[in-house]
Order: sequence, then C-alpha cells, then structure tokens
Amino acid sequence: MSILLGFLVKLAALSLIAFGGVNALLPTIFDIAVNQEHWIDAQTFSDYFALAQAAPGPNFMIIALLGWHVSGILGAFLATLAIALPSSVLIFFLQRIILGIQDPIKKQTIQYAAAALAIGLIFSSVWQIALQINHGVAMNALTIITIGLTLFTRWHPLYWIAIGAALGAFGLL
Amino acid sequence: MRTLTPLQLFIIFSKIGMSGFGGVLPWARRTLVEREKVLSSEEFSAILGICQIVPGPNVISLSVCVGSRFCGVRGAIAAPLGLILGPIIVVLCIALMYEHFSYLDAVKGALRGITAVGIGLVAATGFKMLRDELRYPAMFIVVIATFLAANYFHLGLGWVVLIISPLALFLASKKARIS
Repeated sequence: MSILLGFLVKLAALSLIAFGGVNALLPTIFDIAVNQEHWIDAQTFSDYFALAQAAPGPNFMIIALLGWHVSGILGAFLATLAIALPSSVLIFFLQRIILGIQDPIKKQTIQYAAAALAIGLIFSSVWQIALQINHGVAMNALTIITIGLTLFTRWHPLYWIAIGAALGAFGLL
Repeated sequence: MRTLTPLQLFIIFSKIGMSGFGGVLPWARRTLVEREKVLSSEEFSAILGICQIVPGPNVISLSVCVGSRFCGVRGAIAAPLGLILGPIIVVLCIALMYEHFSYLDAVKGALRGITAVGIGLVAATGFKMLRDELRYPAMFIVVIATFLAANYFHLGLGWVVLIISPLALFLASKKARIS
C-alpha cells in the first residue's frame, strides 16, 4: 500500500507541471516505473503504452495500467485520480482569473508561452521515449511514416493503429 | 444558454471519452460543438485556450471548465468522471486479455506495431502545434531550448519548466505585441 501511496504522490506532483499533457510526462513515468522502482521492464512499459493507445479515451490510460500493475483495480482508479485531480482543481479556480484578464496582450503572452513550452516538452518526450521503446529500423520507420501520414492526410488515427498492429502481428517489425 | 444537469454532462463526456482514439480533443469539439450544440465554436476555442495554459491532461481540464460552466462544482466533477470512467474499464479489460495472451508472438508483434504508430501519433501532435509557431519563428528558440535542456543536459521535467518559462514568456510577449 505504501508503494502505491508513493506513486500517487509523485503523480499528483507531476500533474501540476505537465505542460503538454501526459504525453510530455512519458519519460518521467518511464524513469519511475522502470529505472527507479523496477515495477516493470522496458518491454512491459512499451506494451502498456501500446495498450493505452489501442484503447479509447484520454491518452493517459497508461497511468491507469501502471496503477493496476502496482495494486489492482483500486490502484488503476487512484492513479488516474492522482494524475487528474490536482490540475483539475487548479483549472477550476484559475479559469475565472484567466477569463478575467482584460489586457489581451497579457493573455496572449501566457497562451503563447505555454504553447511553445508544451511543444518543446512533447518533442523531448517523444525523443526520449522512442529511444527507450522503439527498437530497430522498421519500428522507427513506421513511427516516421505515421507522423507524415497524420500530418498530410485526414484519416482516422485508428486506421494507423490497426495497420501498425497488422504489420507487427505478421512479424514485420 | 442551455442548462445541463450533472447526469447529462456525465453522459456527454462519456460519449467523448469512449469515441476518442489517439487523442480525445477532436472528438470533444465534434461532440460539444457540432452534435450536441452546447457550445459555439468560438466558445470552445476560448475554453480550450485556457486549458492549454495550465499543466495537466488538457482534455480533463476542458471537461472541468465545461462542466463548471453549465453546472458549477457538481458539473466540474460529473464531466471528468464521465470522461475517464468508461475508458478505465475498457483499458482494464484489455489489460486482462494482455495477461493471458501476451506470450503469443503475434500479440507481441502487434503491440510493437501499435507502439511505433503511437509514438508517431504523439509526435504528430507536437508538429501540428508547431505549425502555429511559424507565424513568429523566434518561438522555435523556446522549443529547441526545451529539447536541449531535457535531452542534452538531462534536466528533470520540473527544472526544464522552471528554467525555460522566463524565456518562453519573454518571447511570447514579443509575439503577442506583433500579432
């Protein structure tokens, strides 16, 4: 139970600095779960990441899976709560203050700064996590192709997920 | 303005949560603006703008803002609960299947494929956001500095945010004055 509690406290703290959402947190979460606590190995983290991508819902379902691994169904719910609650309380009280900012330049400044920070963090996160869980030329190629196709077509992401799963199932990756 | 009960908010956000693959935000817009017509497109963008300022899962923040707008504290609780309850149950069911079948080579391979695509989808979100920065390319400095701080100097997330924020705010204020 104390293991879960420590995890929940860390998640709650991360919730408050996760500019760019949970995607930006992936390497930090990897570090906690694989390197520090040794709950799972890199391969299992990679599998959890894939399961979370294949499931519907917000893309932080990997947090629920880690919570589940640490202490079952209760762990899944509490971990999700820990990552979502602090920032939710923050936005609940901040939204009126932000809406109340009269000076449009001040408002835009904060918005632009947060956006640029989020982009930088997402790229850092993708880079670090790809180094950890993408293995071999074929997987990296598939990642790059996905980026290109997502940017230049309007297909539903589920198609790419299905194609990736099929390629992998036939042993091509 | 239409009024919504906590239950209605819960149901609307359940639908959003269960239909979103590879990111829920596009579905949130489609459902709230186009299908249910509870928000105008401008209102949605304004709320989303606020949510992207604060850290944390953006779509959860969005549900808190929309929920509290229609139904105060009760709405702010019902909407995010709807958003995550269904997906947690689904992902746990998938996890149970994973426990039983993860030894199969085909399953291992399929998961590798989804991992590679998933990383691409996350990266694509970053590139899509980067498009908006083309208007004022100096903001690229923030993106690059963040990347270097995390990957070259190996700073933790908290330090990166702390160190890069002043630079981001400085350049953002210039961008805001230009546009």
